[in-house]
Amino acid sequence: MIGLIIFGVASIAATLLLAAASAVGPRVEIAPSTGFFLGIWSVLYAIEAPTPRVAVASVALAALLASGVALIELRISNRSRRSSDAHTDPLAPKLVMARTRGVYAGPVTVTVLIPAHNEEASLAQTIASLTSQSHPPERIIVVADNCTDSTVDVGRLAGVEVVESVGNTHKKAGALNQVLRWLVPTQGENDAVMIMDADTSLDDGFLETAVARFTSDRALMAIGGLFYGEDGAGMLGQFQRNEYSRYSRDIRRRRGRVFVLTGTASIFRPAALRAVAQSRGTAIPGITGDVYDTAALTEDNELTIALKTLGALMISPSQCTVVTEMMPTWRALWNQRLRWQRGALENLGAYGMKPKTFRYWAQQLGIGYGVIALTAYFALILITSLSIDAWVWFPFWMGLGLLFAVERVVTAWDGGWHARLLAVALIPELVFATFLNVVYIKGVMDILFKRQAGWAHLTPTTIGEGSSGEGSTAVAPG
Amino acid sequence: MTTLVTHLQTGALLPESILHSDSFKILATFVALNTLMYATLALMKLLPKGYAFSWFSGRNRRAQDRSIGSAPPETDS
Repeated sequence: MIGLIIFGVASIAATLLLAAASAVGPRVEIAPSTGFFLGIWSVLYAIEAPTPRVAVASVALAALLASGVALIELRISNRSRRSSDAHTDPLAPKLVMARTRGVYAGPVTVTVLIPAHNEEASLAQTIASLTSQSHPPERIIVVADNCTDSTVDVGRLAGVEVVESVGNTHKKAGALNQVLRWLVPTQGENDAVMIMDADTSLDDGFLETAVARFTSDRALMAIGGLFYGEDGAGMLGQFQRNEYSRYSRDIRRRRGRVFVLTGTASIFRPAALRAVAQSRGTAIPGITGDVYDTAALTEDNELTIALKTLGALMISPSQCTVVTEMMPTWRALWNQRLRWQRGALENLGAYGMKPKTFRYWAQQLGIGYGVIALTAYFALILITSLSIDAWVWFPFWMGLGLLFAVERVVTAWDGGWHARLLAVALIPELVFATFLNVVYIKGVMDILFKRQAGWAHLTPTTIGEGSSGEGSTAVAPG
Repeated sequence: MTTLVTHLQTGALLPESILHSDSFKILATFVALNTLMYATLALMKLLPKGYAFSWFSGRNRRAQDRSIGSAPPETDS
């Protein structure tokens, strides 16, 4: 239902746009004529462009929509930050400040939980990235969930605590809930809990920055990592790395304001986790006492929305970066993205349309509209190329193509030369975008027909052959 | 030139007249508007993001030390 609502609204927006365009000016025509390029080659070209009035109107509309969404989001988050309503925003900074005023609960410590399901291949490296931090964590606990490999031994060998889940049927969220249930009540006000995927490595400085942030602001409830992709997986890996670079850039431009507290690595104050567990079943969905909602496919996205709903202050500082695993095959990527997409839509369905979910609705609406726009674009290209037997140049549209190429390259710049080369070619990334659009449509269809959602797992040792999904939970870029 | 025009009239697989049909023009207009809108968004992503309000507004500055070891302030904000 939720997917249909979003897709329906996007379709209505598209129809309205067309109606408005027909009302204000003549339709765009593609009628090629011949000319001479540099006076030598006979070329076929079409100079058709929208009339200036239509062009200005659509540019203004886009600018208005983008800045409108940003402004509304800023207003909503500011209102939440300044709230002192203990009923609606129990984690609002003012209230937290009042509760902790004059009480020194000791220095900030970090306890890391690493949920692991058959992660023997990457666990040792993950633990090493923690112990080698400039500010190493005080405690590391591997949460082994239904492992059939040597994950438990790898953990013990690395000298960290290992806790095995008991009778857990709710995957990662269920395993974490079991541990958090006894861990959180024992944590002091400043004893932060970090949840980190076993296929992820922290960059040095992550914990030092996080501890400094928690030390300087006792109202800060959570810190989310910024993830980028590990090397490898060829062009498919590069597509994902470019996507992640752009996401990180977006977050930096938002001054660290969080979209999603990524499951790859995020740190919470215990007060935040306690408030979530207490509010489940009433103010937010889920079972009272659970930190994670086990019904959510993307439990990190859900926890972010839960914390936002409770008014928590959170941030993604640019120094808190992590390297995460790339999906090595299209099939694995398909499964991962289908789960993210479905999870994001279902989370929105669970929370409904509220001011605090506004940004997420806008994002999904944007994706839905993007699917329609890109499909229309491909249809136009296809019909035109099948109806004309010669190459036609469109100077106006090629100029815009140049702008898109510049934008693609600049936004992926941090990814290095491979990233920039892939970006400037435009077409490959357009194909990747189409792939993601197909995933979106499949997600909407699956929700509509109530198909069982897949939560497959990628075993690192079998990468490339028959891997059918993955276990990490970074909910990424929109 | 003649060949080119002939090609144009017949098209590869579809008749060239389809390009002059009303529904095709509607599709072309829709794509044109979208392209312009997405181009605007692309341009906005390229330009530095301004936070004009924060340059002038004192409300963004914290009125008190919020660190974990801070002494109780006289007023809260």
